[in-house]
Amino acid sequence: MVPLENYVALSGILFALGVYAVLARRNAILVLMGIELMLNAVSLNFAAFASYLDPDRVTGAVFAVFVITVAAAEVGLALAIVIRLFRLRATSNVDEAAELKW
Amino acid sequence: MGAEQAWLLAAIPAGAFVVLALFGRYLARGGDWLGIAAIATSFALFFPVLADFLSEGDGLGPFTAAVEWTRIGDFSFPMGIFVDPITIVMLAVITTVAFMVNIFSVGYMKGEPRYWWFFAVLQLFAASMILLVLADNLLLLYIAWELVGLCSFLLIGFYWEKRSAVEAAKKAFVTTRIGDVGLLIGIILLWREAGTFNIQEILRLAEEGHFGHTYLLVAMLFIFIGAMGKSAQVPFHVWLPDAMEGPTPVSALIHAATMVVAGVYLVNRMLPAFEVVDETLLVITVVGLVTAILTGFMAFAQTDIKKVLAYSTVGQLGFMFVAAGAGAPEASMFHLMTHAFFKALLFLAAGSVIIGTHHHQDMNELGGLWKRMPITGTTFLIGSLALAGVPPLAGFWSKDEILVVLDKQWGPWAVSLLGFAAILTAFYTTRLFIRTFLGQPRDPHIAEHTTETPPVMTGPLLFLALLSVVSGLVVFHEVGTALGFPGGFGEFVFLPSHGPHGYEFDAAFAGASVVLALLGIFTSGWLYWGGRLDRSTRLAEWQPRLYDMLVNKFYFDELYQAAIDYGILGFSYVVSWFDRYVVNDTGVDGSAQVTGYAGFILKHLQSGRLPHYAMSLALGVVVLAVAGLVMRG
Repeated sequence: MVPLENYVALSGILFALGVYAVLARRNAILVLMGIELMLNAVSLNFAAFASYLDPDRVTGAVFAVFVITVAAAEVGLALAIVIRLFRLRATSNVDEAAELKW
Repeated sequence: MGAEQAWLLAAIPAGAFVVLALFGRYLARGGDWLGIAAIATSFALFFPVLADFLSEGDGLGPFTAAVEWTRIGDFSFPMGIFVDPITIVMLAVITTVAFMVNIFSVGYMKGEPRYWWFFAVLQLFAASMILLVLADNLLLLYIAWELVGLCSFLLIGFYWEKRSAVEAAKKAFVTTRIGDVGLLIGIILLWREAGTFNIQEILRLAEEGHFGHTYLLVAMLFIFIGAMGKSAQVPFHVWLPDAMEGPTPVSALIHAATMVVAGVYLVNRMLPAFEVVDETLLVITVVGLVTAILTGFMAFAQTDIKKVLAYSTVGQLGFMFVAAGAGAPEASMFHLMTHAFFKALLFLAAGSVIIGTHHHQDMNELGGLWKRMPITGTTFLIGSLALAGVPPLAGFWSKDEILVVLDKQWGPWAVSLLGFAAILTAFYTTRLFIRTFLGQPRDPHIAEHTTETPPVMTGPLLFLALLSVVSGLVVFHEVGTALGFPGGFGEFVFLPSHGPHGYEFDAAFAGASVVLALLGIFTSGWLYWGGRLDRSTRLAEWQPRLYDMLVNKFYFDELYQAAIDYGILGFSYVVSWFDRYVVNDTGVDGSAQVTGYAGFILKHLQSGRLPHYAMSLALGVVVLAVAGLVMRG
């Protein structure tokens, strides 16, 4: 049985990597991937804590499935936006898409 | 048809008003026949009511009938009628005068625009006033009170093409409204403590000492303010002379029966409560005396026939208040009745003069009209003598009664002041008659074209002249019993706590009364007889400032104008400054500017760059996490 600490540590590392990707990278695709990493870290946390607190039930896994579903939809939408951005600007650098300001 | 159907007296003219207001303009002759039929029915129905009232018990009633009007929670508002001798006297006066005025109006208003509307409002006016005197509770009375005010507003402003008429109507409405607010406050105060609007209940509670003394005093003074406003007592008298802008029959109605006497009626109705706090009686007496004397002087310098009569009405209302203040509703109501008849007569006769001379009503243009208009002249003379208090005409008996009760209650000082007012009354009345009907016409052109008015106008004059002669006689026990009353006027209308009071002829008072009247008449005759004005002109030149003061009516209007200009407008200026600079510039615009500037500063946070938002999001999470850890210790 793998102890809970290992799951949480892995989840924390994954999340930190995701945050780094989102904050540091300029490429929209990589930003998206960072978000996916964070989502997966969260799903892992869900599943780990759920099985730790009540091993007989699969509530955490159900949550993880929901998160994966939502993440899939989100990625589909986000990629569509990135493709539109690329077609309009010939770039996928998020710094160039700065029209949403005052 | 008994006393319980007395509400029909008000309902019939009210119904006529609805029909006339909606369809009057399509009816033949503007529907004047419908109006007259309605008020004539009321007049005719009064007699069965009276007969029924007199046949019940001792013929003093009172009679009540009430239905529940509405209910709020546990509190029910019954609406009903209350008939007692005071109501009977008021009903007699209102129906008679309104009936005569309606007939007279057919002649007077002939060919006027909105003829139908005039008759419509006349019916509403009579109906409201009848409702007012029938009401058994203050709420219904207040409703009728305001209706009466509305009708006078509509009729004073009948010629609304004329600016002066509009302003007079507005003035009447606003001035009486000040009094009405007092009345409303008084009613609410009484209701708060008594828990009922019923007048008789309130009076009973007041006599049993249910109210605190000061509380009742304040409430009754507020009620009296309402009466003062309606009855145009000083300092609220300013609206009544201006109300002469209305058609003359309206003036007759307002002055004799339907508007100004409402205040006198209210005071007499509530007199038992006024008596409990007897300081108010002195207030009432003093207000009446001041009014009677001041308006007596004001009438001196007026040259418009109707304005002289208007001031005379205010003064005579003062007489009625004096009598009420002396705790004698019998004298007050008696004078109200006789005054209603001769004042209606005088106003209608003045209207007849106006029609006869083709719209001239300034004494400076008239004179010597008696020969041209014998019926109008003679009836006017009868009215004038009655007003001056010459025996055996109606005004003599009622004025005599007032002097007697005044002597009993307040003693010689009040009697001498009122006696002085009586001299003034006789003086200006004589002046009015001499300058209008005697002497040489000052404008021959006007006199030449003057003709007597048609019978539809002289008829009411003759009837009212008859009443002006005989109505004073009901003071006698024998006359009263012969007519089926329990006795003379004082044995029919009286304060329960005082008991009936038979008329006793007091030679000293009667003699003094006659002397006062003759004194006024002869002084006036000496000044104005034969159309000569040299003496009065010299008098005016002798004391020009005094004369100016009289012509300007003691500067009351100017005083009020100044109070409005400096007091109200000054206060408004302060308020508007506060509104403009504090509320608007600082509060409203200020907060908008603060918001705008804050937005100007904060908009720089909005960079539009995705990593910035992501960074703030991450930082926010970190801050929250740290805060959570710290909070948990």
